Amino acid sequence: MMRPGQLPRWARQVRVVLMKELVDSFRDKRALASILLSILVGPLITGFMMNRIADRQKDADDVRIPIVGAQNAPALVQWLSQQSGVSIATSPSDPEQAVRDQSEYVVLVVPGDYVEDFRSSRPASIKLVADSARADTHGQVERVQRLLAQYSAEIGALRLIGRGVSPAAATPLKVEAVEVSTTQQRAAKLLSVIPLMVLLAAFTGAMQLATDATAGERERGSLEALLANPVPRGALALGKVMASALAGMLAVMVTAGLCTALLRFIPLQELGMRFRFGAPHMVGLMAAALPVCLLTASVQSCVATLAKSFKEAQTYMGILILAPMIIGVMGTLYPIDNQPWMYGVPLLGQYVLLTSVLGGYAPGPFAFLTAAVVCVLSAALLLRATVALLNDERIVFGR
Amino acid sequence: MIAAIDLKKYFGAVAAVDGVTFTAYDGQVTGLLGPNGAGKTTTLRMLYGVMRPDTGTIEVDHIDATKHPRDAQARLGVLPDVAGLYPRLTAREQVRYYGELHGLAGDELEARTTELLRSLDLMHLVDRRAAGYSHGERTKVAIARALVHEPQNVLLDEPTNGLDVMSTRAVRTIIRRLKSEGRCVLFSSHVMQEVSALCDAIVVIAGGRVVAHGTPDELRARAGYDNLEDAFVALAGVGEPR
Repeated sequence: MMRPGQLPRWARQVRVVLMKELVDSFRDKRALASILLSILVGPLITGFMMNRIADRQKDADDVRIPIVGAQNAPALVQWLSQQSGVSIATSPSDPEQAVRDQSEYVVLVVPGDYVEDFRSSRPASIKLVADSARADTHGQVERVQRLLAQYSAEIGALRLIGRGVSPAAATPLKVEAVEVSTTQQRAAKLLSVIPLMVLLAAFTGAMQLATDATAGERERGSLEALLANPVPRGALALGKVMASALAGMLAVMVTAGLCTALLRFIPLQELGMRFRFGAPHMVGLMAAALPVCLLTASVQSCVATLAKSFKEAQTYMGILILAPMIIGVMGTLYPIDNQPWMYGVPLLGQYVLLTSVLGGYAPGPFAFLTAAVVCVLSAALLLRATVALLNDERIVFGR
Repeated sequence: MIAAIDLKKYFGAVAAVDGVTFTAYDGQVTGLLGPNGAGKTTTLRMLYGVMRPDTGTIEVDHIDATKHPRDAQARLGVLPDVAGLYPRLTAREQVRYYGELHGLAGDELEARTTELLRSLDLMHLVDRRAAGYSHGERTKVAIARALVHEPQNVLLDEPTNGLDVMSTRAVRTIIRRLKSEGRCVLFSSHVMQEVSALCDAIVVIAGGRVVAHGTPDELRARAGYDNLEDAFVALAGVGEPR
């Protein structure tokens, strides 16, 4: 039967099943739309948010300060208006109301006794009206506070000099912040959502095909006829798992591609980051993320085969996807420092690798290999479990 | 040729098939007749290799199907009780998929697929997806994909169930043609007219056992009824006590 250079019969059957499942699922417009949506939404939201953060950082340099009672402190107002990016505005009639209804993010109120206090070198009170519950104006409010503190320090220094005291005596501490993380690492921290997005894509991309080819096949009543063909159950399961793994890989590539494309459009320099993403990074991302698709496809296929119905299978898919989410959330809340054992834990290993690659730190080929081998091995075990399920008459014919 | 020898299958403590023995010969249509729940479907499932018998032997063209299930399956064309199609594949693709699983490929497979769909009067469905098919069309496409590898033995589980008159006639025509081609056709039914119109041999199953086996005439003679339906009721023991 077998001609030289030809695949063995079972391998050709795997290919037949694989191609059929791919064609079948790519015609499922609704499933495709939902996959596409789940792939696109993440990167788009992330990109939008990062863009906003960067914008806000830029906004903070340009502040508009409405002042009530500007005539009470002409020197201060003049000093403020000379600072770069600062514009002085006419004051609203009710400063607190203006801040509350968000027509202004900050208002300075200079009371009438400011002049008197200032002249007699008493602390002259000045009111800064702001809403700390508004996260989006923190930057501007902080800038105004810094400006006022700077003005206060300058006047204080002048007064000390006028009294013959060195201003240095009034500055017992000089705090110097030393930043140890590289800018790439800081960028990676902000970009830590990308590994999560990529891992999620490995799940959402494979999910639809994995359920449709197993629980769906049985629910449509086409499984029994399929099993009557002279095809080993292992070849059937492998073809189906490989098809959904390929779908997962496609989703991973699209997500990683989109995220990295977005990085080009986001003004990361404005965030004080100089993130340079190149081809080696992309290769690293793929080396870390593609093997995990074998695992997600096989765990999803196995669980969906076990499920009693298509609906039940979908419920299980929702539970499975919590795994990368938990890792992602933990990774953002508690910084994970790379430990060698982590590469041996599926999903966690990939998460750590992806984060490292984005941080501009390559963990070496051994780490990639370990993580990939663990994925392939666990996928093989799950494939065997799926084959065992397909050999179980209670599973095939319902319970 | 298909031989079932003392097949037994238990679901828990319930004996679904309790010692079934019969042979279906080439060039003949053999009917597996019995009331609902008699064990017809379970028997067929064991014959086409999706269920394992607890005891007993199955031979397909003298191949021991319990030892070499894939070799036996390669010689079978199967229409199961529920024969779902893939809603997003066209008739041609459904048939081609099964042909490829049987190791067919290329021009030979394409030619066979076209020929099969034409002979079953399904050319209008060739490039239409299965989602909109009628019940009769679905059954005929399912039969087409079961026959693509030109199997020597054809197993049909209640092939005319729920079909209208025209589709039923079409299925009967297919069965007669398979017989004239010298194939072994085994089909199950609980409909008397079906069996009497088509079968050369009838195996009556009730309660998981073969209660009678023979030609329609032999069964009528044995039960003492001229009417095959009365004979069936008497033989199956489902009517008034004998």
